[in-house]
Amino acid sequence: MSNINRRTLVKGSLAAAIAGTALSRAAFADTAEPILLGVSGPLTGPNAQYGTQWKQGFDLALDEILAAGGINGRKLAYSFEDSQSDPRQSVAIAQKFVSDPRIVLELGDFSSPASMAASPIYQRAGLVQFGFTNSHPDFTKGGDFMWSTSVSQADEQPLLAAYAVKKLGLKKLAVLHLNTDWGRTSRDYFVNAAKEYGAEIAVTEGYIAEERDFRSTLVRVRDANPDGLVLISYYSDGALIARQARQVGLKQVICAASSVYSPKFLELGGDAVEDVHVGTRYFPEDPRPEVQKFITGFKKKYNGLEPDAFNTYAYDAMNMAAAVVKIGGTDRRAIRDAFAKVKDVPSVIFGRATFDVATRRVKGAMNAELVVRKGHFALWDGKPT
Amino acid sequence: MSSWLDYTINGLIVGNVYALVAVGLALIFGVSRLINFAQGSIYLVGAYIGWVAVVQLHTPLPLTIIFVAVVAALVGLIIERFGLRPLQNSVRIAPLLATIGISFVLDQLVMLTFSPNPRALPSQLPDVRFQVGGGTIGPLDLLIAGVGITSALSLFVFLRYSKLGWAVRAASQDRDAAMQMGVDVNRVNQAVFGIAAALGGVSGLLVGMYYNQIDTAMSLQATLKGVVAEVVGGAGNVPGAVVGSLLLGLVESYGVAVFGTSYRNLFAFLLLVVVLVLRPNGLFASARQAPPEPLTGTFIAPSRPVRIPRWALLVAVAVFAILPLLPVSFYVLQTLINAWLLGMLALSLTLVAGTIGQVSLGHAALLAIGAYTSALLSLTFSVPVGLAIIAGGLMSAALGTILISPSFRLRGHYVSIATLAIGEIVSLVILNWESVTRGPIGISGIPPLSLFGYDLISASSVYWFSFVVMVVLALLQARLLSSHLGRSFRAIRDDDIAARAYGLSLNRYKSLAFIFGGFAAGVSGGIAAHLYSYINHETFNTQQSILALTVVILGGLGNVLGAVVGSVALVGLPELFRVAAEYRILIYGIVLLLLVRFRPQGLLGTI
Repeated sequence: MSNINRRTLVKGSLAAAIAGTALSRAAFADTAEPILLGVSGPLTGPNAQYGTQWKQGFDLALDEILAAGGINGRKLAYSFEDSQSDPRQSVAIAQKFVSDPRIVLELGDFSSPASMAASPIYQRAGLVQFGFTNSHPDFTKGGDFMWSTSVSQADEQPLLAAYAVKKLGLKKLAVLHLNTDWGRTSRDYFVNAAKEYGAEIAVTEGYIAEERDFRSTLVRVRDANPDGLVLISYYSDGALIARQARQVGLKQVICAASSVYSPKFLELGGDAVEDVHVGTRYFPEDPRPEVQKFITGFKKKYNGLEPDAFNTYAYDAMNMAAAVVKIGGTDRRAIRDAFAKVKDVPSVIFGRATFDVATRRVKGAMNAELVVRKGHFALWDGKPT
Repeated sequence: MSSWLDYTINGLIVGNVYALVAVGLALIFGVSRLINFAQGSIYLVGAYIGWVAVVQLHTPLPLTIIFVAVVAALVGLIIERFGLRPLQNSVRIAPLLATIGISFVLDQLVMLTFSPNPRALPSQLPDVRFQVGGGTIGPLDLLIAGVGITSALSLFVFLRYSKLGWAVRAASQDRDAAMQMGVDVNRVNQAVFGIAAALGGVSGLLVGMYYNQIDTAMSLQATLKGVVAEVVGGAGNVPGAVVGSLLLGLVESYGVAVFGTSYRNLFAFLLLVVVLVLRPNGLFASARQAPPEPLTGTFIAPSRPVRIPRWALLVAVAVFAILPLLPVSFYVLQTLINAWLLGMLALSLTLVAGTIGQVSLGHAALLAIGAYTSALLSLTFSVPVGLAIIAGGLMSAALGTILISPSFRLRGHYVSIATLAIGEIVSLVILNWESVTRGPIGISGIPPLSLFGYDLISASSVYWFSFVVMVVLALLQARLLSSHLGRSFRAIRDDDIAARAYGLSLNRYKSLAFIFGGFAAGVSGGIAAHLYSYINHETFNTQQSILALTVVILGGLGNVLGAVVGSVALVGLPELFRVAAEYRILIYGIVLLLLVRFRPQGLLGTI
């Protein structure tokens, strides 16, 4: 591996020289230059919104890191390359990053096809691919340079199932899920856990991401006669389903996965998302200092804007990257090894985050049980709706 | 039983929504014989203008509608004047490509102005619901139906009974004759684009209110569904577009009722293919309608292909062949690998679209078939990767040709729409056929490229491998084109009636072209699968098909070298503009428009 690594560096440097960039500065780690992370993610195309949210989270984290003295006195910065979350582009970006000696670690990509297509390149070149929205069960199996702070669905879905079945007492469930790798994996974990807790799954329906009309799906749900609806959705489709469920006259209790946790869910769903139950990884009113610092900082930086799940993942990921670089320095291999060494990094999602070296993921996401009351997310008070 | 009433009502409601887009598309097709891929973008613009009116200016509903209609109409007029009018005398497919470029530009402008985050667009109608069957209907549903049906009816009356309407129809029947009769064809076009754009804008507004949600990704879906609805009804037929939309809504709704939600779009596209096979001009095509014109053939601009001297070609091949030995970065190599893979797809498409005149908008399906075949063979049955890729090519050739064969009897734009549908169907089958394709989870851990037991994992070896494969395919295709067979292909493209009279069997030759093309595309997909190591149903999508078509037009239809040059250009352009981040798709769209405008026969000309 070190062999390839050196070759990569040599080639990259030569290319950099040809391209007219200052080779000497990069090679002889000028301390005035910031330590550079590469980000591969969507800034245009159908997933562009998530890339924009990443940037907000990253920038806030970087401000705080700089205010705290940077990484051993050096600044931390990132170079964001737009992949449109398309595998063809993410592999080219991967080659660009691995052959750029200034890049010490890579963050992203957003979707599984784009991330996992690039994994072999990062693995061979020995540059950490740090995915933080990559819940595909095989993502970290790509090699020992693949690490992720994406919450394992094996971790999260049983918590949601416990909320729905044990706490809310829903015995017969209809599950609507996004028909992607994430939605499918989540659905399976949820269904298994719910059955274990004694619930019956009356119907499961998978829908594609572009879907906007759910009326006919909801008639199927109605005919199955469940006493609760479970949405494994993102906030935009989750809000649509809730609205249309109320429009076609479904009055059942709705529970949703943490991915709907966003102020946008309330805005897009309006009255229809009132009383929707959400199991989430964090909650703004959570008194933990990590959460409070994040929320206050975010609102201050972005004119009162409320952060959502994807802002949070990005913020946590950047802090984790900083913690790792602090230990590992600027050597790519040492950074990989540092992932196994970081302990208890303050994190909004996990509280204190430590990697499980066997899975290269973080275990133990926090869980708050929320309900939408009067157009706001509130901690569930234990009263049935 | 009551559920069926609900499914019917739901189908009609969503059909209503589709009708709003389809009517505008039908109107434009009626006059310019053009499928306007920018209609979805005007719909997007309308939705965001509506958001500005409702949320920022707090206009009352009637004023909101007028405001949106006026702004959207202006956008339509600008598109017509500066995007399409200069292309009047160029290749028939140039305006189609221009509308794709315009849609890139518009979508991106909206995204840059409003950010890609979805926004709520509150309905300005009272929130009361009337109980119908087991569900409810609201005032907005009725307004959408009202707007859809009223606009279709008034357009019908306008076209049939007003003087300008006659002019519109005359211009659509025969442009030159209409001009000789004193019709100001440009004015007609302006009027039509203005009306269609106003309609498109208002539909974006209403649909946004209906879902209380607008986002910048809504335009492509709207275009796709609108096109399906329009073609089902009979392209260019305004009332037909409404009926087609309602039918599409119903079929989707019943499809969900019987098979479940994940099959929804499958039924939409199957409906399209079935209608096209049974009634090639749509359900409401009148017998007197002029037959659709082929997209290529007699409409190919008289161009002289650029002759590249043989020594220059050899030098170019040699330079590219030794590139990995020179100090170039892996990033450059990877970008060129992407270009070679796209080049194989473009070779395939330039053969079927350029040489034999079957413009395909679903070519990514061939990539997907090759990729899945190769990935599954090597993973499940441990077939050596080299053989698996060849098997992928053969499978694409066989299955692709069988799937596309129903479109052989279609002509003109209908071929491209049918292939678009087939592309979507393949993607949806991959999503749903879980026992074989692993559905949404996709296939991971695909073994890397290897040859004779040696893994090709370094960028240089992958580069050489894909380059050699592409060069071999290109040489074979060049040989094919200069043979008797190639001349027969071009004869069919140029005049299929004459070719048939001369004794050529159209279906057999079209099949041959698709078999050869399918093989090249399948090989490209197979190599991509082993390069990425993970694929799912979204890896090879409609955007990829559109990109391939762009490459082919850019290089010059039917031009083998053009396909390769076009691939390098179109893979390279976005990479060059990578520094521009959010702006690069905008720049790409503008470059595309300029190319179509100033070099419609392609960089190297049509062969």
